[in-house]
Amino acid sequence: MPNSKTYKISFLVLILILIICFFVNISFGSVSIPLKSIFNSLLGSADNESWQYIIQNYRLPKAFTAILVGSGLGISGLLMQTLFRNPLAGPFVLGISSGASLGVALVILGSGFFGGVFTTLLFSKWSVVIAASLGSFLVLLAVLMVSSKVRDTMAILIIGLMFGSITAAVVSVLSYFSSAEQLQQYIFWGFGSLGNLSWYELLVFFSIYVVGILLSIVSIKGLNTLLLGENYAKSLGLNIKQSRLIIIIATSLLAGTITAFAGPIAFIGLAIPHMTRQIFNTSNHKILLPAVFLFGAIVMLICDSIAQLPTSDYTLPINAITSLIGAPVVIWLLVRKRKMMF
Amino acid sequence: MTNDTKHIVLKTEQLSIGYTTKKKETVVASKINIELHKGELIGLVGANGIGKSTLLRTLTNVQNPLSGHVFINTINITDFQPEDLAKALSLVLTEQVASKNLSVFELVALGRQPYTNWVGNLTEHDINSINTSLQQTNIEDLKHKKCFELSDGQLQKVMIARALAQDTDLIILDEPTTHLDMYHKAYILKLLQRLAKETNKTILFSSHEIDLAIQLCDKMIVMTKDNVISDSPCHLISKGVFKTLFPKDLIDFDENSGSFRVKK
Amino acid sequence: MACKEETKPILHKEENIVKYDFKYAKGFSISEHLNYKVLTIKDPWPKADKAYTYALIQRDKLAENHLNPETFDGIITIPIQNIVVTSTTHIPALELLGVEQTLVGFPGSDYVSSEKTRSRIDNGDIRELGKNEGINTEVLLELKPDVVVGFGIDNSNKTFETIKKSGIPVIYNGDWVEGSPLAKAEWIKFFGVLYDKTKEADSIFKQIESDYLEAKQLASKIENRPTVLSGAMHKDVWYLPNGTSPEAQILNDANVNYLWSNTTGSGSLALSFESVFEKAKDADLWFSPSYYSSFEALEKANVHYKKFSAFENKSVFTFANTTGKTGGVLYYELGTTRPDLVLKDIIKICHPELLKNYKPFFFKPLD
Repeated sequence: MPNSKTYKISFLVLILILIICFFVNISFGSVSIPLKSIFNSLLGSADNESWQYIIQNYRLPKAFTAILVGSGLGISGLLMQTLFRNPLAGPFVLGISSGASLGVALVILGSGFFGGVFTTLLFSKWSVVIAASLGSFLVLLAVLMVSSKVRDTMAILIIGLMFGSITAAVVSVLSYFSSAEQLQQYIFWGFGSLGNLSWYELLVFFSIYVVGILLSIVSIKGLNTLLLGENYAKSLGLNIKQSRLIIIIATSLLAGTITAFAGPIAFIGLAIPHMTRQIFNTSNHKILLPAVFLFGAIVMLICDSIAQLPTSDYTLPINAITSLIGAPVVIWLLVRKRKMMF
Repeated sequence: MTNDTKHIVLKTEQLSIGYTTKKKETVVASKINIELHKGELIGLVGANGIGKSTLLRTLTNVQNPLSGHVFINTINITDFQPEDLAKALSLVLTEQVASKNLSVFELVALGRQPYTNWVGNLTEHDINSINTSLQQTNIEDLKHKKCFELSDGQLQKVMIARALAQDTDLIILDEPTTHLDMYHKAYILKLLQRLAKETNKTILFSSHEIDLAIQLCDKMIVMTKDNVISDSPCHLISKGVFKTLFPKDLIDFDENSGSFRVKK
Repeated sequence: MACKEETKPILHKEENIVKYDFKYAKGFSISEHLNYKVLTIKDPWPKADKAYTYALIQRDKLAENHLNPETFDGIITIPIQNIVVTSTTHIPALELLGVEQTLVGFPGSDYVSSEKTRSRIDNGDIRELGKNEGINTEVLLELKPDVVVGFGIDNSNKTFETIKKSGIPVIYNGDWVEGSPLAKAEWIKFFGVLYDKTKEADSIFKQIESDYLEAKQLASKIENRPTVLSGAMHKDVWYLPNGTSPEAQILNDANVNYLWSNTTGSGSLALSFESVFEKAKDADLWFSPSYYSSFEALEKANVHYKKFSAFENKSVFTFANTTGKTGGVLYYELGTTRPDLVLKDIIKICHPELLKNYKPFFFKPLD
């Protein structure tokens, strides 16, 4: 049986890989910056002013954003898969990304519906962030109301799916009345983007993210108990309603904030827990939670580095990369192992 | 007389069980008065649909009684905090666990949840309890195997070991011998008998194996259409309780062998 | 470059056809036959696989013509008496030719900036025909225009096909497909032939062309070429015109150094923030930062914009704030037909010592 020593080694290796990926990520971008200059820029003594700005104010925040997004989505995906005992669940299964999309659609596309043409395309980044957060928060409230009235956890999943459909319908109506520019804005939001945060925005993002992570850590024991099923969990003294509440709030904080700041990022929340489970060969959340954290951060950094198309002037949308990589990996893992380890 | 001095672990007082919908109340059984003592193996039997599951659900606080009380260690079951109840009562259910990816050790270790800290760390005492439970159920050599690699019989032993590790005075098992072959049916019930004696725990199980229950149990609870009787197998036989359990056209109870025979 | 001052008719002796080749516009051509003219639209949209031909017959020659409708995509009596157009770029041509009163319907009339046409809209003389793909077919059929001038992105235009089936000719205007500013402006001749005002259209275009070339000549004498940046970011991708686009051509003709003038391709360039920042951090001037209307809006959208010298020196110019009463952007409407004004705007802003008495028409400094 893999004992704690084996795990300690694995974690050390993962941390090392994370640090390496972090440096690789900030070293490569559209503009070729030699390694020496990168170190100088990090230390603040730059030979080239625009390079220093790019490293300090563009690539560094982007790399940190990638870490928060990858780890946050991975962990919320893990929480959802265990809570719903469904390997196909992901962080957006509660309708969080639908709620956020609805909020953003109302802000970006709504002016065409409610008012004249080109009225205020002056939606700042903050109004989009706030709208996305409000949207996912409202969906969360609805889910929690249902959760308190209903004993069956599966019903919550259905509610989440329903919200997805409602959002899609409302967005299509709004789209019909929108101008080309507004639609373009909305679609671009949907591509997801990691490089758009200033240090201040990153700080706000991080504060909420930390609360989500803390709540996830607090739920480790409950998550492990839920591996036996809800009836056994109850007989072991677990307060199911309270556990469920904490898990749902943790997921919403993580997935909701990520969607608000970086847009809806596909696939990571679903794929990372599976990949981690296969590699570490355990379902114990005490191991899985930190492992998913590290693994999610690593994969996101790699996806972002690829999306930057180093040395080319062009970049790809991050969602394209996460899907292109995520889907085949999960399929390959399943085929190799032949059963869904859960 | 000696029975009265033994500690009473489970007691019901005028218990009435059933369902309430908005319109009416359905009584499944009433006036149930049972006393279960330390170190006893008790079998709960009855015809299909008579209410065995309802009774078990009421005794384990999954379902509310219609009236009357259930006491565990003299405390009313409704007064228990969930964690304290978990330290007094453990269950073995018919449902499969949600994740079979756990190793045997990990699954049995989950039985210690009521005692571990906020993150679930195992102390040396916890690990000893787990190992003891594995020994008592004879599955030490399976310790590191994953649960999806086990047979039904082995898995059942693991679930029992988990309930043992939970270190409770009372263990309740819902139909622990369904799906097992005859040898393993006997094996599991014999195991339960041995455990009750060795650990001094009270073990209550429901079953369709009336023959085996008669041979192995200290006490049996028989649910019939009219009432719920609790007594030793000998007394139950001499009272002729088993004769009235099933319709007489197909099978009959033979007092001498203590088993049911098919009528020719 | 050999310049022809006038479009010279080329005689094709065999069939007695006079074909007019246009100096700049490649997307359409007109040929004159004995009793009728043929308008051929070669590039209604990029990579069109077929050309559309329309026979234009003057009212008094109708009786003499026995043309087979099957050989044309439409037979139109000229001059037309009422028209529906579908893009604001079509409106200035109508006004320059003095036929704006024949416009009876327009989809998305809020986009129209021109005062003359706005007042006709306000008076109810121009019917609102809906938005985007959703043109209100019923209202349009009720209007019974002589011609509908549409535009398409590709060959799936369901609404227009429906209108065609009802008997109203639909002609696709491909001015936006043209690759140079003067070619786009030359499409005024497209409207000219429909209204049987070919001579007027020719002379109006000639004036625009000579004003444009005169300004270009003026600018070419200047030694100092300021560096120019354009576009803005959507999320993390910076969109700006590529070097062969009409926008870049005007910048070139204004004798400024557009930092991406040596790029090619169709459509906008989509570049990473990093590469734009490195190249244009110290650009002298910044034109057209997308739809942003103020420095505050730019800053709120992305904090990195502040680092560009053009931002710090407030040398940012946009056409987004020059709008009509209902918010329609004037540049989109008039800029296609009057590239001479656009060029002069750029010249005036980049080389302030030239064009002393000229006030920029479209481009204003950002607020």
